[in-house]
Amino acid sequence: MTRHTMLFLGYELRKLFANPVWPLFGIMQPVLYLVFFAPLLRSTVPGGKMTDVLAMFTPGSMMMIALFGSMFAGFGMINETRNGMLERLAVSQAWRPAIILGRLVKDVIVLVLQAILVIGIAALMGLRIGLPEMLLVLLLMAATGLFAASLSYGLALTLRDENGMSQLVQFFAMPLTLIAGLFLPVSLGPQWLQTLAKFNPLYYAVEAGRSLFRGDLSAETIPVAFALFAALTALTLVWSVRSLRNLAG
Amino acid sequence: MIIEAHDLRKTFHAKRGRGKKEEVEAVRGIDLQVERGEVFAVLGPNGAGKTTTVRMLATFTLPTSGSARVAGFDVAREAAKVRENIGYVSQAGGVDDTAPGIESLLLAARISGMSRRQAQARADELLAAFSLTEIANRPAKTLSGGQKRRFAIAVGLVNAPPLIFLDEPTTGLDPQNRANLWDEVRKLREQGTSVLLTTHYLDEADALCDRLVIVDHGRIVARGTPEELKKEVAGDVVTLRLEDTDGARQLLDAQPYVKEVRAEPGVVRAYLDDGEHGLMHMLRTLEENGLGIRSVSLERATLDDVFLKHTGRSLRDAA
Repeated sequence: MTRHTMLFLGYELRKLFANPVWPLFGIMQPVLYLVFFAPLLRSTVPGGKMTDVLAMFTPGSMMMIALFGSMFAGFGMINETRNGMLERLAVSQAWRPAIILGRLVKDVIVLVLQAILVIGIAALMGLRIGLPEMLLVLLLMAATGLFAASLSYGLALTLRDENGMSQLVQFFAMPLTLIAGLFLPVSLGPQWLQTLAKFNPLYYAVEAGRSLFRGDLSAETIPVAFALFAALTALTLVWSVRSLRNLAG
Repeated sequence: MIIEAHDLRKTFHAKRGRGKKEEVEAVRGIDLQVERGEVFAVLGPNGAGKTTTVRMLATFTLPTSGSARVAGFDVAREAAKVRENIGYVSQAGGVDDTAPGIESLLLAARISGMSRRQAQARADELLAAFSLTEIANRPAKTLSGGQKRRFAIAVGLVNAPPLIFLDEPTTGLDPQNRANLWDEVRKLREQGTSVLLTTHYLDEADALCDRLVIVDHGRIVARGTPEELKKEVAGDVVTLRLEDTDGARQLLDAQPYVKEVRAEPGVVRAYLDDGEHGLMHMLRTLEENGLGIRSVSLERATLDDVFLKHTGRSLRDAA
């Protein structure tokens, strides 16, 4: 089982290294936000210090790649439902969950590398963060990415349609990010928005990220976010592996 | 016996609009016995249930009812064992477009349990056998249809299975590549690999297979060797083009040397065992009765005539 997962992971990584420019495009968006948008936020934090702005904004921009980047992870698989690749793998000796797990691990590795780059750029701009906090932030981001990516594979295998999938992802991603307070904390907003945000799992991830960047390890959003995303990931993962089975009709 | 299937059936439930469900009986009771070392063809028009049948035998799809043993194992209960003993090349091929072909080959080899070194050795062997060595490292999307198909078959053979399924192996290939692929299939038989292939090409089934079944609407309508099946119809076919098809049919039906007559508007096909002699009689009889013909041709009976006999329509029209 592990062997097959590693085989698929190795296969995906080799493909990635053969063409490593695409993940760089993926981090352009958060980097642009950091450089051009974060400075505008100085008036929203007390004292207006860039360090505080970055501590508030960087977690949001990281969750952005965790969510947006990973929600599209399944796109490539839609083609594989048609070109016979998944059909062939399904009747090979491969342990079926490994087909998805191998890809998921690759997605998370790429995501963590991207996140380290984003934190590096934020650090150049003045962000300060301790090592344990940083590791926890990366772990939290990996969990978010794992959830979003397995959701994406499930969607890809269920819809099997690029157009439908891109519409659906946009449809869900936009409100989720707005209601999570990705760019500005929802605590700045009215009560109804804050109440609404409590029903959005991404809100806990962003808030937990902000607490970690502030060095506040005791914030209760941190365990909540980890528990939430562990549970959600388990659900979407099972769903995506089952969708693989349903391919046969 | 490498394949033994009894009364295989598959019904799909397709959603049609809100709340409406449509049942599609893709396969309606198929019995198959394929011997070891045999090239066996499933011939039929598009939509006859060929792919669904192969998918059930290859453990991709579970049968709705019926049972099948492949390489000695039950397709439903011992799918993992079946998978160790088969190669499966789907119609779409299944070679990863976004990577060089060798990568698909190596991954498949490793999945089947080989070490890195064994996988490399097996890949080299197959690349050489299918003349793919030179293009092994090219991205698969830049390959031609024939090259891709050869890669797909090489991948299917990676674990040296005793049985390989080829679903429509030559659909979309040009005549040159088709002929090459036929040679590959013949080589497989020489090496003792059993092959089950589906096709809607008559000449392909005729040229390649030891035995075949003809399927239509999910059922087997005829089975046997190509020679047996054709003999069942007649040795030769005389095709006449003329105005009075009804008159000609009645007249020819009465001739003792004619086995069967079929008429379509403007065309009459007469089946007879000894065409060279029969044709002379036939032309004389038609002339004596004042039936003018526009053209005449004499051919050996093909599997299309077999299909026509069993289904009442030509395979070319059925597709």
